[in-house]
Amino acid sequence: MSELNVIKKERTAVINPIVTCQPLGAMYAVSGIERGMPLVHGSQGCSTFVRYGFARHFREPADIAVTSLHEDAAVFGGRKNLISGLGNLAARFKPDVMGVVTTCSSEIIGDDVAGFIKTAKVEIAKKMGEEAASKIKIVQINTPSFVEHQFKGYDNAIKAIVDTLAEPKDEENGKLNIIPGIVNPGDIREIKHMLSLMGVEGILLTDTSDPFDSPLRPSKADKNPYYQKGGTPLADIQDCANSLGTISLANYASSAPASLEKKYNMPSKVSEAPIGIQNTDSFIRTVKKFTGNDVTDEILDERGIVIDAMADVASRYLFGRKVAIYGDPSITVGMARFVAELGMIPKVVCTGVKNEYFVNDLKKVAKESDEDIDALFGQDLRALDVYLKENPVDLMIGSSDGRLMAKDLGIPLYRVGYPVYDRVGYQRRPIIGYNGALNLVDGITNTILDKYYETQDWKLQQ
Amino acid sequence: MVLNLDTENRKMQDGNNDDDFDLEVKIPNSIFEKLKSIEALKARESQMCVSGKDDSIPTCDKNSTPGMITQRSCVYGGARVVLMPITDAVHLVHGPIGCAACTWDIRGSKSTGDKLYKNGFSTDLQEKDIVFGGEKKLYESILEVNKLYHPGAIFVYSTCVVGLIGDDLKAVCRQAQEATGCRVIPVQSEGFKSFNKTAGHKLACDAMLDYVIGTEEPEEEHPYSINIIGEFNVAGDLWGIIPLYEKMGVKVHTAITGDSTVAKVASAHRSKLNIVQCQKSSNYLASQMEKKYGIPSIKVNFFGLDETTKSLRAVAEFFGDEEMIKRTEELIKSEIKNLRDEISEYKKDLSGRTVAIYSGAHKSWALVSAFGELDMEIIMSGTQNGKPEDYQQIRDHVCEGTLIVDDASSMELVQLLKEYKPDILISGAKEKYLSLKSGIPHCDFNHDRITAFSGYQGFINFARVVHTAVMTPIWRLSRK
Repeated sequence: MSELNVIKKERTAVINPIVTCQPLGAMYAVSGIERGMPLVHGSQGCSTFVRYGFARHFREPADIAVTSLHEDAAVFGGRKNLISGLGNLAARFKPDVMGVVTTCSSEIIGDDVAGFIKTAKVEIAKKMGEEAASKIKIVQINTPSFVEHQFKGYDNAIKAIVDTLAEPKDEENGKLNIIPGIVNPGDIREIKHMLSLMGVEGILLTDTSDPFDSPLRPSKADKNPYYQKGGTPLADIQDCANSLGTISLANYASSAPASLEKKYNMPSKVSEAPIGIQNTDSFIRTVKKFTGNDVTDEILDERGIVIDAMADVASRYLFGRKVAIYGDPSITVGMARFVAELGMIPKVVCTGVKNEYFVNDLKKVAKESDEDIDALFGQDLRALDVYLKENPVDLMIGSSDGRLMAKDLGIPLYRVGYPVYDRVGYQRRPIIGYNGALNLVDGITNTILDKYYETQDWKLQQ
Repeated sequence: MVLNLDTENRKMQDGNNDDDFDLEVKIPNSIFEKLKSIEALKARESQMCVSGKDDSIPTCDKNSTPGMITQRSCVYGGARVVLMPITDAVHLVHGPIGCAACTWDIRGSKSTGDKLYKNGFSTDLQEKDIVFGGEKKLYESILEVNKLYHPGAIFVYSTCVVGLIGDDLKAVCRQAQEATGCRVIPVQSEGFKSFNKTAGHKLACDAMLDYVIGTEEPEEEHPYSINIIGEFNVAGDLWGIIPLYEKMGVKVHTAITGDSTVAKVASAHRSKLNIVQCQKSSNYLASQMEKKYGIPSIKVNFFGLDETTKSLRAVAEFFGDEEMIKRTEELIKSEIKNLRDEISEYKKDLSGRTVAIYSGAHKSWALVSAFGELDMEIIMSGTQNGKPEDYQQIRDHVCEGTLIVDDASSMELVQLLKEYKPDILISGAKEKYLSLKSGIPHCDFNHDRITAFSGYQGFINFARVVHTAVMTPIWRLSRK
């Protein structure tokens, strides 16, 4: 009988974190709205370091505004900063949506963010006129940095966006709401691709694919202000109250589906990321259930191509290889299930969060794969390092932050998740869906070949 | 000589044709007119100026406008980047996880020895710590990391949260130092303390002055020993400088803080001279060391052939040793023997090209002379954290007609780049993709640079990097 061995953190200090704080998740979510602008209510570093991180990972500019809180705000509150911040942002950038993202400092000083937003709306209307002002929506997103992590911040943001902006009508729009989680542009494009193969129209809550992977072309857009094209249009977000249902592809993003279900009696399904065959099958089935649309031949062919690729390599190069996976709780569980499908052993799965769903999902993987899995729960990369010294594996799967450790341990690292800054293209290539699985099969196998085989050996030609 | 900026795209469209290059003197008016044509910038007109127009400098050193996408960082960030390169220290961030998670190992400072500084340490403050205080957690964390790593020192950084909940950082550090026997150094770097991260640089220098420098004696006292202050060994810059001084017979005791150890910094007070590279972050440290230990300092610049030569000569002259002066001249001669030829190869393509700088205040003027050696001209220079003296420096270094900008937001930068169309932007990573998306070649001159630019060979590297950025055929393709 296979078991999940949960190892909890026994140290106080965090050493080499694999999580960051709530505001990052919220900034990511708001960036997926067309002409949407995150406004961080906090110190300049809170926006600057996230912008820097996004730039490093996505290799794209990331526009995130900040209210620049300083010592006087710490004493007298951030009222002035937030109200004038909203006013300035509205006047200069004319966004469709401004997402006010709080931080530890604005939460602790107890700013009445809701009240300030109300005042700001009046001010903006005075300055820009009622009509122009009414076009700019303001979403309040509470993301205290000292509670949970970026995944909770993402969840809070999507819920706030939906709760503030959704406008119910009497009839259904026939669309499906999809919450992609904190994933890459390639993943979101793959979700849209799968939906289109099933003839389903989706509303992505939210769609960061184009804003974080945009073409370099002579700009035909307005000079002032300049926005990357893409993102979910405000009208679509407003329309999400009239959809057939909501699917969240990240277990941590469950609040918005619950809220939509409660308010509009809309069915919802929250799952781990559709990584690998079984998880993608389950996603496709859910889409079918919600929409009534059939699974098309094209989708079955795409599935068949991955299975074919797996058959080519799985037993020859991958079977029995031990894998360590770390990072995002939803993605790591999906990856664990997929490497098990490939015949590899998900020996250890490490995440920085302490949410119970992670343990429950991983238990299922252990049971299905008939392998004992060690779960590092609420841990950091140092804990994984210590573990791997005692229990070596053949492959590591996770973000670039584990690169030095992987090098020291002599274990090859296949890069997945956020952040990946020392390789190119990972943000463009999906890991989600059948095409994502295909990428993973190729990438993982090539990594194994590089490390454990003489690549010039004639036997590889077979 | 001032360039006509109205000939749009003059270089982009045809990489090798210099014929359409108009050298007529029309500036500064056209620069200024363009500035006015950018509507959104009107409110910020006072934060920009054109050199030569009059004697003014931009309004600066003020709070950023809330709601703007300022390129500025926080005080914690400022302190972190100065201290981080000390290789055998633990840098423990007392705050919520994000402050450490977003900044560990973001600076490309290289090390010949210890790699401890590349790890990220945090006390990961949670809601209950905010309510009941985080002192106990901090104390335990210090004990833990000391036991695990036996570091040269533990720097403890306070963040916004700590400033608000009022944890007594100093007291905890003192107790922990008694318990561990390891130096535990408080850095009071609450992020919101100032709009200018330079305040963080100063705090970092204070931490070194109060707790490190002067606490140990060097193994040997060399008659010609120096410290290189404000050199952080990004991409291995230091390794282009140290060998030059060693060949002169000068002993580089340590850089502060590039590739340094706690013990080296602690015994830096016995050096005979401080040379100051980044004058933004470290002039203060040099002047304090002069006051406290009587170490004189001279300002240096290792960017460009002439500046490097001057910086070597200045040290030789300071020591006044005839033999050393002779050796130095021979060294300079042999070092630059073939370099001018190499540079002229790059110069063929780069000559007359225009440059915009938006970077740290020191770089905004310290690069000017070197660009002159490539026959390139700076048409815009700005910084996010400039003080009046920094802008004065820019004015003193650049040609007439150069646009000088303080604290531009990302939108303003894009607009300026689109209007002025420099042939290259020199900046950090956040501006890099703005630049490329606007069709402007880019050269990274910040924390995550991967090529060393200091000293003679470094300048050849730089010329190559700039040449590559400007000449890559991508820019012809992107216009289709």
